[in-house]
Amino acid sequence: MPELILKNVFKRYDNKNKKKNKEMLPFAVNDLSLRCREGEFVGILGPSGCGKTTTLRMVAGLEDITAGEIFIDDVKINDLEPSEREIGLAFEDYALYPPLNVHDNIAFNLRAKGISEEEIMRRVNTIAPLLKVDSLLKAKPVGLSGGQKQRVNIARAIVREPKILLLDEPLSHLDGKMRQVMREEIKRLHKDIKATTIIVTHDQLEAMSLADRIAIMKDGVLQQFGTPLEIYDDPANEFVAGFIGEPPMNLLTVDIRKKGSEFFFIFAGESISIPVPKRYYDVIADGMKVRLGVRPNDVFIGSEDSKGSDVEISVFEGLGEERRLHFRVGEEFLTLITTEKIMYKPGDRIKLEVLSEKTHLFDINTGDKIQTEKQ
Amino acid sequence: MADIQLENLTKTYKDVTALNNVTLSVHDKEFLVLFGPAGAGKTTMLKMIAGLEIPDDGLIKINDEIVNIVNPANRNVSMVFENYALYPHLSVYDNIASPMRSKLYKESEEYIERAIKDVTTKMKIDTLYERLPSQLSNGQRQRVALGRCLVRKPNVFLMDEPLAHLDAKLRHFMRAELKEMQSSFNTTTIYVTHDYMEALSLGDRIAIINEGQIVQLGTGSELFYTPCNEFVAKLMGEPEINIIPAQIIRDKDVVKMRIMKQETLVELPEDVAEFFRHNKIDTVDLGVRGNDLSYSETQTDPEFMEGKVFVLEPIGNRSILTVDIEEHHIRLIVPNDFQKEMDSTMYVKVDLTDTIFFDGETTEFLVRHNQTNLVKGGK
Repeated sequence: MPELILKNVFKRYDNKNKKKNKEMLPFAVNDLSLRCREGEFVGILGPSGCGKTTTLRMVAGLEDITAGEIFIDDVKINDLEPSEREIGLAFEDYALYPPLNVHDNIAFNLRAKGISEEEIMRRVNTIAPLLKVDSLLKAKPVGLSGGQKQRVNIARAIVREPKILLLDEPLSHLDGKMRQVMREEIKRLHKDIKATTIIVTHDQLEAMSLADRIAIMKDGVLQQFGTPLEIYDDPANEFVAGFIGEPPMNLLTVDIRKKGSEFFFIFAGESISIPVPKRYYDVIADGMKVRLGVRPNDVFIGSEDSKGSDVEISVFEGLGEERRLHFRVGEEFLTLITTEKIMYKPGDRIKLEVLSEKTHLFDINTGDKIQTEKQ
Repeated sequence: MADIQLENLTKTYKDVTALNNVTLSVHDKEFLVLFGPAGAGKTTMLKMIAGLEIPDDGLIKINDEIVNIVNPANRNVSMVFENYALYPHLSVYDNIASPMRSKLYKESEEYIERAIKDVTTKMKIDTLYERLPSQLSNGQRQRVALGRCLVRKPNVFLMDEPLAHLDAKLRHFMRAELKEMQSSFNTTTIYVTHDYMEALSLGDRIAIINEGQIVQLGTGSELFYTPCNEFVAKLMGEPEINIIPAQIIRDKDVVKMRIMKQETLVELPEDVAEFFRHNKIDTVDLGVRGNDLSYSETQTDPEFMEGKVFVLEPIGNRSILTVDIEEHHIRLIVPNDFQKEMDSTMYVKVDLTDTIFFDGETTEFLVRHNQTNLVKGGK
């Protein structure tokens, strides 16, 4: 159960269109350093084109590394063939061999390596129940459901007893219910096999649910690396703040105004005013513009005599388990979520309050978190 | 103005029955959602109203007029498909004007101007006339596309999964945008979706469709609190509602319940107990949503069932805790800072005041506590 270490890894693809355009392409992966601990489950998360799959492919040996080093424990693997890296890979599309039954699909790579039939039998029979495919060993892929195919695919990756297990969007072809079940099973499986595991995904829910730590990437650059709760509670910049959480964090451009000795966030014309938490007093000034972030469940409805802002509800949504109230702020909405069984209609007014300790401030130009002294 | 009646509609493609004897009445200016899994027959229903499919059997009436064989163009129906597809080279004004300038309508420019002003004011896009689609926000683009459909005052507005291609975040905003505009449609609207949040949020009423039939028709509250069977209950909510088997145990007039194979018999809410005094059903399924379970690290009362943590998934503002009890995976919602190792012992108790009781044999709805109040008090 080794460590996987990426040191200042870069990847730039060749510009295949050389005649038309001599310019170099931007880095697909730009100075990425990551240290995945022994047995850790790491999620690489980001939108399409962020470099997450390229990173995975470099680890697997399917892609050259432009610069930087990748180690498994203290062995540099840059120049090792994929087959020498002892890595198990399960892709998004299952790519099972249609003429082979489930048993032979799982055994395929072992046979290619010349492992004895006896040993293959032993390993397949150990792995199959872990992934609940033990009753399907004689079946051909064509008759399997999406979830079953993905189970076989993952079984095929781990039967080689790899040092590192790489999963590339393993759940994205599955429907909602199956995805929940597979998520739980992959998490259990990781506990059972204890392999250092990387999952690549664009789905923040999947990364949050599965990973011990999440590396969030954008345009080839690592944005933040931390536990799901660290990233949720203390996002490093506006991109991370907006990417993590469903529904997304409210992110609004606000003015900071001094009234007496106190500061307030002012937005939506002048209609919403929220006290600025004292911890920010050292880093703000009257008249400054910032991006204010606050999660929909950190906004709440104040009592009648509350000091909150008097606002008009633009949209009320009853969603069964929860209700969402939306307030129009220019082209955007400020959203509030509550599980209380209340009912409103558009045009109703409420007192809007914000848990000011749960506010996040980002620089209006760079989007970086505005650091306070205490942090 | 348009009431729509679908009477005994049936449609078969080769040997697949897409619609099976569907009857549905949509009121004037109602926002009706057709909700169900892929392949249920929702889009087929929509296409029949639009005139893009002809039923094998049954009648389609718009304002009491049978339109089965009326041309799509002559039904005054407007259909929005999954992508809004504005003309990229035309301004907002010309995009909205395009249907009225078509061969079919050829309205005068004065008429067009008035109609556009009317619809764009309602939809708050009247300041954007000169802009190209590429210069609009997502919300504005949606409004322009819907404005283009509404400008010729269709009798019926049909929308086929208009938000399905968006990611979860954008869908949250666009749904709110759509809902904000709803009152300005002022037109009978039929909306197809497979997303329960869209159905609950937008529909005045929701028709649940499965295998070519209407399974249940009602308001969001009715469907959420009193689903007619387990299939409907499972469609609403994330994670999916827990279905837990139980036995009703009667001793003369005392009615209690054994959940799974637990030793302790639990008390039922009085109105639920009363139901089982009169209905001699013994095998039930409990429908319990993730919020309606309590949990504890110690067995504080005998109704807590012992289980083992299967997994704990933090998903942002909350976590999903799956506990294995008698080989059933029970999913609970817990706070996001909750911590517990896999396989450690947990105790879980079902909150019976929010439990939905289904017939264990037929999976049909039986009863729930406080039934009438909940449904009336809904949205």
